Amino acid sequence: MSGTSREKFLWLILITVIVVLPFVTGSYVVGVMSFVAIFGGLALGMGLLLEQAGMFSLAHPTWFGLGGYVSGILAVRGIAPPWLGTIFSAVFVGIISYVIGAPLLRLKGYYLACATFGLLLIVEITMGQLGTLTGGNEGLMGIPPFSIGALVLETDVHYYYLSWVLCLGCLWLLYNLMDSRMGRAIKSFSDSEVAAKSMGINVPWYKLKVFILTAVMASMIGSVYTFYLRFMEPSVLGFPLLVELVTMIIIGGGKTLYGPLLGAFVVMWLRELIHLSLGGFLPRMSAQVDALFFGVIIIVILIFMPGGLSGWTDRLLYLGRRTFGKAGE
Amino acid sequence: MTLFSQIVQYTISGITSGSIYAVIGICWSLVYLITKVLNFTTGEFVMLGGMLTWGFRGTGLGLVPSVLFAITCTILISMIFERIAIRPVRFPSEMTYMMITIAAASVIKGVVLLGWGSETRTIPDFFGTEVIHVFGATMTSQILCVLGLLVIVTLGLSLFLNRTLFGKALRASAINVTGASLMGIDISRFRFFCFGLAGGLGAITGIVITPITFTGYEVGMLTGLKGLVAAIVGGWTMTGTMVAALILGLLEGFGAGFISAGLKDVFALLVMILFLIVRTLDLTLGKGRVTR
Repeated sequence: MSGTSREKFLWLILITVIVVLPFVTGSYVVGVMSFVAIFGGLALGMGLLLEQAGMFSLAHPTWFGLGGYVSGILAVRGIAPPWLGTIFSAVFVGIISYVIGAPLLRLKGYYLACATFGLLLIVEITMGQLGTLTGGNEGLMGIPPFSIGALVLETDVHYYYLSWVLCLGCLWLLYNLMDSRMGRAIKSFSDSEVAAKSMGINVPWYKLKVFILTAVMASMIGSVYTFYLRFMEPSVLGFPLLVELVTMIIIGGGKTLYGPLLGAFVVMWLRELIHLSLGGFLPRMSAQVDALFFGVIIIVILIFMPGGLSGWTDRLLYLGRRTFGKAGE
Repeated sequence: MTLFSQIVQYTISGITSGSIYAVIGICWSLVYLITKVLNFTTGEFVMLGGMLTWGFRGTGLGLVPSVLFAITCTILISMIFERIAIRPVRFPSEMTYMMITIAAASVIKGVVLLGWGSETRTIPDFFGTEVIHVFGATMTSQILCVLGLLVIVTLGLSLFLNRTLFGKALRASAINVTGASLMGIDISRFRFFCFGLAGGLGAITGIVITPITFTGYEVGMLTGLKGLVAAIVGGWTMTGTMVAALILGLLEGFGAGFISAGLKDVFALLVMILFLIVRTLDLTLGKGRVTR
């Protein structure tokens, strides 16, 4: 990527910290950080759709879950090994998102949100009803671990590295994407669709492309999640995950590309903190109860800090530069 | 049961759920037309009505006082929600509003789950449990209550909107907010009022269906969404919403009876997606290109 030397330095620091982390901390931290990578990668794609491209699509957990389900079922039935299943499910989700996205992306604003929200619930209910194929509401069990040939990923640390490779790969991809012709097209139609059209940008085609791209990303992350937990259930691709992803994007701030990842980091550790401190007198800690806390956070941040954490740091940097008189880059 | 009595039975259950969706759809459009907020807590207020009635009954109150308390509490919650979460938003956009209401819905859901657990609850029928036989099909007196509710709500609302000054002002601000506020109508008070009214209507609906369908912390979202489907398909008008809701209810009743009971929630959502897609086709094929 054609970044400045400061950006390269930040990437280097990030990668070093992530590589070194499992050697200096215990399995607890590694486990939580794996989930940061998985859900952070998912939130990156959704943040791109929502905040950069201005497409209000809520169906992201669906692509995540479909990817996980397809590769999981293929592996349980012994039809395809996990690595091939992951690729196959990515292709499958790509095709499905094309077929669904082509008519759906003609909608805008509230109506797009309603339609994709309906899609989310439809897939969740259908997955619970297809008992013989997906294991129904009890969930899909007996999924083998991820393996390529003789190399079998068994421990948490393996999955930690796999999910971080995938997550940082997504982040790198998004940075390059937004630097390209397509990225500039996305920025232009999120500002004003009419202006973008009048400049000769094929808006529906770019919308469909970015929709499919993020869906495929979500599907691959979903496959890794499935092989990590070796379990998949319909409630994973439902409403609680949607609230969680929206919380990550809002806490992190979607106006920057790295914001959702930052948000995922905060949300995951916040959840651990809540579980540790309140687990004693709130015995029923489920995804729905987490959604309660996240709901409060969303409302508070949207009212008092609309830019999220990354918007806030950007403002601090700007104020710092202005105060200390350093010229901008 | 013969096929004919089966059909009658499905029609009855379809009309029952259709009337519920009609009232909920009216709640969505009341808020949407005045404030341009797509209020995803509508379904949660339906759930709150039933759960609060159950809760007040648990403290030893009779049915009537607990119903009244439940409605009052839901109206208050709805109004407080508008004051503390909708009004202070600094950069109002569709996305912000929608995220806030979705977040609030999950907060309400989580609080009810923590407070009362995940079991389904019910309250007794209002007028006893006698069964009425119609052409071999059965219905309870509670179903008549639901139909009565729909009639009362629509008649009451249309009288209120067409005959009173306040109602006329409300309709004016639904048509053009800026114009209405230039005529001296206090929009901010109306937003407050609409949230309260929608919360109250939602709570009443929730209470009336609780003896039939039972209630629990998670019923709100899907029930509310079907109301939204009716409102969208009906074009945000009261008559349109009612017609759409009744068709939706019948579709669901027959779909559950003849195809699959487990997939019955899917039908309504499919209808919404298909309708939205067809609507865009219609707009682009029709006179000129209409962007919306």
